[in-house]
Amino acid sequence: MRHFNIRCAFGLLLALSMATAPIGASQTAAKPAEVASARNIQIPIQQVTLKNGLRVVLSEDHAAPTVSLCITFDVGSRNELPGHTGFAHLFEHMMFQGSQNVGKGEHLILVRVNGGDVNGTTNQDSTNYYERVPANQLDMALFLESDRMRALRITPANLDNQRNTVKEERRLRMDNQAYGKTGEIIGDLAYDNFAYKHSTMGSMADLDAASLDDVAKFFKMYYAPNNAVLTLVGDFKTAEAIDKIKKYFEDIPAQPPPPTVDMTEPAQTQERKTTVEDSFARLPRLDIVYKTVPANSPDWYALDMLGDILFGGTSSRLYQKLVKEKGLALQVAGGIDMRRGPALFQAFALLKPGQDPAQIEQLISEELERVKNDGVTTAELEKVRIQDRLQQAESMESTVSRARTLGRYAVYFHDPTLINTMLAKYSDVTPDDIRRVARQYLGETQRTIVLTVPKAEAAQQARPTKGPEDPR
Amino acid sequence: MRFNLKMKSLIWIAMAAALILASSAAWSQGDSAQDKSIPTSKVERLNRAPVSKETLQVKLPRPVEVTLSNGMNVMILEDHRFPLISVQFDINGAGPLYEPASQPGLAGATARLLEEGTKTRTSKQIAEQIDSLGASLSSSAGFGSGSATLSASGLSDTFEQWFALTTDVLLHPNFPADELAQYKARTKPALLQQRSQPNFLANQAFNRALYGEYPAAVVSATPESLDSLTPAMLADWHEKHYAPQNTILAISGDVHASTLIPQLRKWLGEWQRSKASVTFPPGPPPASKGKVFLIDRPGSVQTTLLMGNLAIERSDPDYPALIVLNEVLGAGSASRLFLNLREEKGYTYGVYSNLIARKYAGPWTAGGDLRTEVTDGAMTEFLRELNRIRDEKVPEDELEAARHSVIARFALSLESPQQLIAYAITRRTYKFPPDYWDKYPAQIAAIKAEDIERVAKKYINPATMQVVAVGDASKIKTVMEKYGPVEMLDASGKTANISGLEVEPSAAAAH
Repeated sequence: MRHFNIRCAFGLLLALSMATAPIGASQTAAKPAEVASARNIQIPIQQVTLKNGLRVVLSEDHAAPTVSLCITFDVGSRNELPGHTGFAHLFEHMMFQGSQNVGKGEHLILVRVNGGDVNGTTNQDSTNYYERVPANQLDMALFLESDRMRALRITPANLDNQRNTVKEERRLRMDNQAYGKTGEIIGDLAYDNFAYKHSTMGSMADLDAASLDDVAKFFKMYYAPNNAVLTLVGDFKTAEAIDKIKKYFEDIPAQPPPPTVDMTEPAQTQERKTTVEDSFARLPRLDIVYKTVPANSPDWYALDMLGDILFGGTSSRLYQKLVKEKGLALQVAGGIDMRRGPALFQAFALLKPGQDPAQIEQLISEELERVKNDGVTTAELEKVRIQDRLQQAESMESTVSRARTLGRYAVYFHDPTLINTMLAKYSDVTPDDIRRVARQYLGETQRTIVLTVPKAEAAQQARPTKGPEDPR
Repeated sequence: MRFNLKMKSLIWIAMAAALILASSAAWSQGDSAQDKSIPTSKVERLNRAPVSKETLQVKLPRPVEVTLSNGMNVMILEDHRFPLISVQFDINGAGPLYEPASQPGLAGATARLLEEGTKTRTSKQIAEQIDSLGASLSSSAGFGSGSATLSASGLSDTFEQWFALTTDVLLHPNFPADELAQYKARTKPALLQQRSQPNFLANQAFNRALYGEYPAAVVSATPESLDSLTPAMLADWHEKHYAPQNTILAISGDVHASTLIPQLRKWLGEWQRSKASVTFPPGPPPASKGKVFLIDRPGSVQTTLLMGNLAIERSDPDYPALIVLNEVLGAGSASRLFLNLREEKGYTYGVYSNLIARKYAGPWTAGGDLRTEVTDGAMTEFLRELNRIRDEKVPEDELEAARHSVIARFALSLESPQQLIAYAITRRTYKFPPDYWDKYPAQIAAIKAEDIERVAKKYINPATMQVVAVGDASKIKTVMEKYGPVEMLDASGKTANISGLEVEPSAAAAH
């Protein structure tokens, strides 16, 4: 249960929208005895498709007088072509610049003034827009979302303004931060197919080149009702909500479907490796990644569980080995991300000063070899399953999280009910599966290694303001 | 999944915090340096969306509260929607605010080491057991706080087992020497890494400027103080500062208070009341002179600005007025700072203002991260907005929107059981009356334009404001000098020797 999309997803406002909590759900009868008594978490799901092709997913929950609305469009940076990187995300910003009946910025103001939260995020595989509002403001939320889907107002001033905001976002998140560019470099080196090879944030040059005409074409092609899923979770009556959704959305015309994206990735036959110098980093960081399989495939679940065994929590194998036992790293993390195309299995370590990255690399390899030769224990699998249950339950607590997850599963896998069935898929994974996927996908020639090192001290020392205490 | 949290904390927390904390002060109106190449685009309201006029009426569930015979306050909030339970021990008196000045980090180390060994369990056993029970555990004592906290959450069907583990960690830690050595070896490099983050640097300088020698000025341990820690010192801190009569235990989720309370008496009965009492150190008065601090971060492509004045304690009657003021000024995306500097000028990804009010006086702050080239223009706009809210009465429609926003957001926040329990802890911590939160919306609704004007003039004072800029000094030092004499600080927060700065070639922009 994870998502390493953190590096690749960018939001309109704040980082807190970044990590899309993974949600799985529901127990099955096949559970081992010790957790058999656990309560199943099943949420009601109703699906309808409007005449214009807009897919609608509803889940009633009357526990609190709030509703969360999410529109997920089937477009992400994977749809971008060379010379147009960063476009999906720039466009996400344009969606807050006003439409026929909503002024520039008014969407944010109305939701905020009525106590709600609002945001949008873009990643490689999709773009979403969501708000949580008091239940009595459902009409307002539907109006705001439908107006911009129908008639976005695209002006040169708004485009220039948001281009600047996005460039500031790039500076803030990437260009001015320690390790800010590492994620972009990993994607570029690991992938061959342009779809995932380039970053969602895009390049400054491409952002500068985006024209008004590009924006208008992009809107027409990708922001059509037949290319979107509307999810609604919270305090409403389903039949009434469907009537309202029809009233606001059904007359928006459908468009021809966008071109499909070729996500195939040639097999990697040689290890790839690079070293990045980082002016702001103070400690070396090691990233090892492997291209694997699309999310929600059987092998993906096995790789996900392996990721938890190696990196999940302080009892995980590599936390115990690298942080506790050997004392070589300050932090370790890893696991597989959730992508529609080949997902990345990643291992990450933040090194203590003076430690040899090659030694950490070696220890990670040895641990993978151990999995390939000896497999994992049933106890380890059980631990991961119970932690998955905990995370699934926690991720269900907020209506926004449920609305976003339903939208993601509907767009990625055409199956919003995965929110209720995902936990069962983890139950099917056996120790043999885990050994097999480790052998199949995590070979030395299949990996990409990126080492980020602090830029030579020389440049820093020329300045009178030095770093503080020397760690030794 | 927890690995995600770690990953996030590394990569993102710094920025999220920067966005929320940044603020800038205005005491003199600098020349307008607006970037002429950027067309401004104004926010507009068409008022065509259907908006319900009624404010959502919400009933605030109250937790069951009992005091155990050892003096511990227990609050229990039942919520059976999900098979989950969260518990939090808030141990007043065990936080960094009470540390000796020579020992920054002692309270934090003690809290963190709780999880690293008890009289009957090793660190590895604790980690293994808590993960295998479908639960998680964390302990901390954050700088600026008078409390240490131990939190655990997990599945309700294994609650008894993981709660027993949690109390073992709280009551019987043995602070193993090798675990302390490892903790030091991990924490010292992290201190170094912290100093690469502009947000950390800004906060460090700002807190020092506000609080001087007061304990709230401290924002991190030092390598020297960490080196000096011994297991005996941690055990002593635990012995003297962890006391049931100073502790609040808050439990929310899938529990039944009526059956849980007798169990708690049993499980926590061995924790004996001590003589420890908590005496709160009085804070310093607000600064009488405005200052500008600059921390050089060569190669920085943005300037991080943070500015503000010391304002109020949490229990101050001006709190509701300042909350509404902050909503107008910079609390969110409908506030003046955001609409001006981001939506109109395109200077930034986000600028905000904030009000921090605790047991001691905290500041209002404003700031954000702005690209280096518009540092001057941004300062001008910050000053413009701060002076505007001092000098001009807030128009009634804008004020009404701000009040409505605060009240409606409060209502929505009640969706979360964790938030409900946090409200209850606040009420108890500050000894507010039982109906404090029930009356909170009415308190906000009563704030008038005159109240905003009065608190703005009282607390937002550009003449005595402290301003911190973190950025490429070779590019922004001259700019910042327009706003007052600049004191250069180094990455540890000390006054820096600045000779030679001008001869450095300006750092190449990243693109």
